[in-house]
Amino acid sequence: MNAPATATPEARVPELGASDVPVSEVIADAADGERAIVAFLCRECAYSAADAAGNARTPLPPTIRTIMVPCTGRVSPLHLLAALADGADGVYVAGCLEGQCHHRVGNFHALDRVAFVRRLLESVGVEPERASMFTMSAADTPRFVATARGMDATIARLPRLPRS
Amino acid sequence: MTRCGVFLCECGGNISGVLDLPALATGGRALDGVVNVAVSQFLCGAEGRRLIEDVVADRGLDRIVIGSCSRRFQGPTFERIARDLELGENTVAFANLREGCAFIHRREPEKAQRKAQTVLAAAVARAGRQQPLQPSRTFLNRSALVVGGGIAGLSAAEELAGAGITVHLVEREQSLGGYMARLSKTFPTEDCAMCSLGPRLANAATDSRINLHTLTEVTALSGPPGEFRVRLRHHPRFVTDQCVGCGTCTGVCPVELESEFDLGVTRRKAISRPFANAVPSTFAIDNRGWAPCTSTCPAHTAVQGYIALAAQGRWAEAYRVASAPNPFPSVCGRICPHECEEQCTRGRLDQPVAIAAIKRFVADQAGAACPVEVPVRRYEDRVAVVGAGPAGLTAARDLALLGYPVTVFEAQPVAGGMLRLGVPEYRLPRAVVSAEVERVLALGVELRTGRRCGRDYTVDSLLASGYRAVLLALGLQQSRTLPLPGAGLPGVVGGLEMLRRQALGEPAGPGPRVVVIGGGDVAVDAARTALRQGAERVTVACIEDGDTLPAQPAEISDALAEGVELATCLMPVAILGEDTVTGVRFQPCALGEPDARGWRPPQPADGDPVELEADTVVLCVGQRLDEDALRLAAGVDVVRDRLVIDPETMMTGRRGVFAAGDAAPTGGLIAIQAIAAGARAARGIHNHLRGQTLLDVWPSERDRAEVSDGELSRRTARPRQEMRVLPPVERATGWREVRLGFSEEEALAEARRCLACGGCSECGSCAQACPAGAVDLAQRSWEEEVTVGALVIATGHQEFDARRKPPLGYGRYANVLTQSQLARLLAASGPTGGELHRPSDGQVPKRVFMLQCVGSRDLTSRGNEHCSAICCLFATLHASLIRESYPDTQVTIAYTDLRMPGKGHEEYLRLVAERGVRYVRSRVGEIAEEQDKSLRVRWEDTLTGGKHEELFDLVVLTAGLEASAGTTQIARVVGLQQGAAGFLREYHPKLRPVDSQRAGIFIAGTAQGPKGIPETIAQAKAAAARVTSMLHGGMAATPVDIAFSDPGVCIGCGVRVNVCPQGAVRLVDGDRVHALVDQASCRGCGICAAECPSGAMTVGGFSDAELLAEATV
Repeated sequence: MNAPATATPEARVPELGASDVPVSEVIADAADGERAIVAFLCRECAYSAADAAGNARTPLPPTIRTIMVPCTGRVSPLHLLAALADGADGVYVAGCLEGQCHHRVGNFHALDRVAFVRRLLESVGVEPERASMFTMSAADTPRFVATARGMDATIARLPRLPRS
Repeated sequence: MTRCGVFLCECGGNISGVLDLPALATGGRALDGVVNVAVSQFLCGAEGRRLIEDVVADRGLDRIVIGSCSRRFQGPTFERIARDLELGENTVAFANLREGCAFIHRREPEKAQRKAQTVLAAAVARAGRQQPLQPSRTFLNRSALVVGGGIAGLSAAEELAGAGITVHLVEREQSLGGYMARLSKTFPTEDCAMCSLGPRLANAATDSRINLHTLTEVTALSGPPGEFRVRLRHHPRFVTDQCVGCGTCTGVCPVELESEFDLGVTRRKAISRPFANAVPSTFAIDNRGWAPCTSTCPAHTAVQGYIALAAQGRWAEAYRVASAPNPFPSVCGRICPHECEEQCTRGRLDQPVAIAAIKRFVADQAGAACPVEVPVRRYEDRVAVVGAGPAGLTAARDLALLGYPVTVFEAQPVAGGMLRLGVPEYRLPRAVVSAEVERVLALGVELRTGRRCGRDYTVDSLLASGYRAVLLALGLQQSRTLPLPGAGLPGVVGGLEMLRRQALGEPAGPGPRVVVIGGGDVAVDAARTALRQGAERVTVACIEDGDTLPAQPAEISDALAEGVELATCLMPVAILGEDTVTGVRFQPCALGEPDARGWRPPQPADGDPVELEADTVVLCVGQRLDEDALRLAAGVDVVRDRLVIDPETMMTGRRGVFAAGDAAPTGGLIAIQAIAAGARAARGIHNHLRGQTLLDVWPSERDRAEVSDGELSRRTARPRQEMRVLPPVERATGWREVRLGFSEEEALAEARRCLACGGCSECGSCAQACPAGAVDLAQRSWEEEVTVGALVIATGHQEFDARRKPPLGYGRYANVLTQSQLARLLAASGPTGGELHRPSDGQVPKRVFMLQCVGSRDLTSRGNEHCSAICCLFATLHASLIRESYPDTQVTIAYTDLRMPGKGHEEYLRLVAERGVRYVRSRVGEIAEEQDKSLRVRWEDTLTGGKHEELFDLVVLTAGLEASAGTTQIARVVGLQQGAAGFLREYHPKLRPVDSQRAGIFIAGTAQGPKGIPETIAQAKAAAARVTSMLHGGMAATPVDIAFSDPGVCIGCGVRVNVCPQGAVRLVDGDRVHALVDQASCRGCGICAAECPSGAMTVGGFSDAELLAEATV
């Protein structure tokens, strides 16, 4: 599935939205180079939920590396795109539930910015689902786990982002 | 280049059991900037601290990277070490090797190891980009605000005051005490709750360092920790400190409301005190605003007030209230268009209360017997009132009551204005008008009839002859005419003139066929008068259609019943006839769009003209001012046929000359508007004559009280009493009053339909009865701002609403209560004096069933998941009390599990079980009500599997605890997070259980989570201790993880000013306009930094460089 490095850039870019790769090849693919996912978690809710999941010894995919931000409103498209450009196959932002942001509106800004990044990615031929945002409450460990595993599965189905 | 030291923690095996730390250390040493890597067994302990100190000193480190547990856990520990070692702020970076790695990847150690390497490298990269930051110092105000006056708030306040910290204790109810004040006894010792609470209450009342603010809410919070600015809104108590607590007022108050203190088990009066040793001990009035009726009435009559008194048959007092703003209650009860009824809340349930008819009965019943007290003459300034109509006479009455000598001049031979000369006898008998006019004159008001302004005297002559003020209450006495051909023919009369002649007893003979042109009340009055004068056929023709007809619907229906014909949508185009009227030609029309003044002119429509035969044509198309009256009245201006006044003073352009009523209208041309205007004019004249504003011309309004749909749905619908009327057959031949009014039974029944929307009805009975003169009904809400250093939130809990479990019958069956309601019944100082009476019949129940876990441990969306910790004990306590007092009463407790944690509780359970309380481990299926109001309970025994069905006299539901509504409100105002069931989220459940998410704001009591009294008190004192240590130094460092802007880079675009949720960013001048962050208000969220287009804005410790370094390793 991974195109040889000498192929033209267009051929290396997968079809948008198409996913007709058999499952067995996906698994082989995932093993063929570990994915890297960078997650920006807000200090109040998402990072709390992550710590709580950790304390409960919940197994989580090791592809995900977490970075704490004071509020998801701190995350700008620059951070997400830089992470993708520099080694990550996926990025996501996790913050408080809508209407419960500790800083009132930070997560709304973040939702807008992630949507912008997705549009930008799509416009340059990269799968938009490589950038996502999830909201959750600090008490909702199951949601943190589910979104982390879900993002890991999504990125596993996609090829590694090509690097120049 | 930074000199970075890496410290890896084994965490006692938690980390080292999964990760190969030596290998990690090797990898770490290879990273740029790392000069040392060390491993410790417990980095957070004393040994770890020594290790860090040693390495920092030996190797000259300026950055520390900690590979350990989550920075949310021990981050502050290491930051403090860095601070103590004088490395500065923001010199520590963290690699989350435990919750973020070892714990979650235990089964994949190789992947965990690779991830740990990456995470460590990211932390080192971040450390390389960290800049040390300088905090600035901020002043800490040595005071605290405690929100909530229950046992938690009181305990915290006591502790804080003892530490020398000034306390503002804010409570939204009228007394301190909270939930604990409602309990009877407490477990496990069965101490009386009030005995424990009483001393705390007394202490709060007498400690001068505690400022009490009851009936007060927090409405806004701003400023930084240490200097919080809190806005408080004080709701009026309506009772001053003169109150001695005698309770006479409750005896006379006519309004009964549900008692919130007794949790709905009883009712209490609108003026009340919740319990005997309430703090403060003054009574308070529950005034929810103006009921819609009062709000809508132009005179803001205390409608709910006289109706409440009428509902108790207190007619004389009701009359006093109804006539306070209005000397003509009998009149208005008959002729007012009563917009109050259209707004009546009852109309949303069944039909509006018949307010006008009740007022009529009250006035007819009690008015005559009510003595007139001649007021004391206080002033010598004589006032002249021109016009003895409703406006003039109301002003005259009010001025006389204020102590002025008043003379009323009236052009007609009788007083009363439109009331006497405009409204026909069959609607408003002369005797009724005369009686009320006489009551005004009996106050010492002089009346001179037959004296016409402009002819017998003028405004100038009045002022010249010594009157210090003149009120022009001229009304609009002339009919407007229409510019139609034939309008001047004999047989064409104005409606007002026709009605006046009839009222003065002059003979009248309208022709057999009468056409009345107009659609308002005057037209209908003229038509029905013509019938009674002998006309054979009377037609009312108007431009409006059936829906837009301005006349009152009741008048129209009465007219039609009498045989008046109604022809709508016709505009007159000519009056026909040569020497005398023979008919009127109309063109069909429709109303056009409203013009600037809202009037809709008629537009001719298609269709042939219509001709009606007529011998008499009555024009009722509007009323005009008689400008002849204004001869020699310079300065009194007329614009568009109305006198011009300043509505704030009621004065015309001529100093000392005022105007009110139809001639200078501020609303519709109806009696009550004129009456309200007359009252305003009296106040305006008083202010003018005394040279200062002593009275508000326009009384300040209260907010409108609303009754929610939910409350409305709990009332039973009952239809409105119908007014009896004279049968039409008896009417048209005479002048007898057509609407017969209510009987006493009808008036009582109708008055009892009132919903008491406003709570207190402002009837004034308490003010009259209070021997200490302590009632002040004029009080209004007021706001103040206090500055405090810290806040403690202790807003308590509420019981789960058992109505959310319909099969249990709460809210439907009389004998299903909650434990809190049972507590009120068992409390010695409660509504039943501690006697257990079941609600339906007051009997002592012989069989009591208690159901646990109502709304708790519930995985459905209709309940809460948590266990409320104290319910098993609560039920056991009440069971014990019942068995003690009523040995013949059986108590069964149906439980899920019995949870009795802590000291003395398991022991208590054993004791109570030995007293004969039956405990059944069960699931209850359904509770059904029998005919005699006892309850049939069906349950399954979860130990034996057997199914049971038994009858009980009383069922008590043990509903769980949730955060109170006040908790949700304060969380929104102050910006706190809530968790499940609304409980406030603490900063960290283990390490910081009484800190909220916000610096400087602490939480305590059941607002934080369900707990009993000892735990509440302990937590409250812990919160107080946190406040004390926070405020101790008097000065504190501002946090460094806040935003700041580089003025050299900032382009002054202002984007960040708009996005900051705290409003902490401003644009300021300098070398060039740039952004400045208010360090005290900034919360460090970073939204501004992400928005900043130039990159000038950053957040301390979370700069782009640091984040990118960590993200892109």
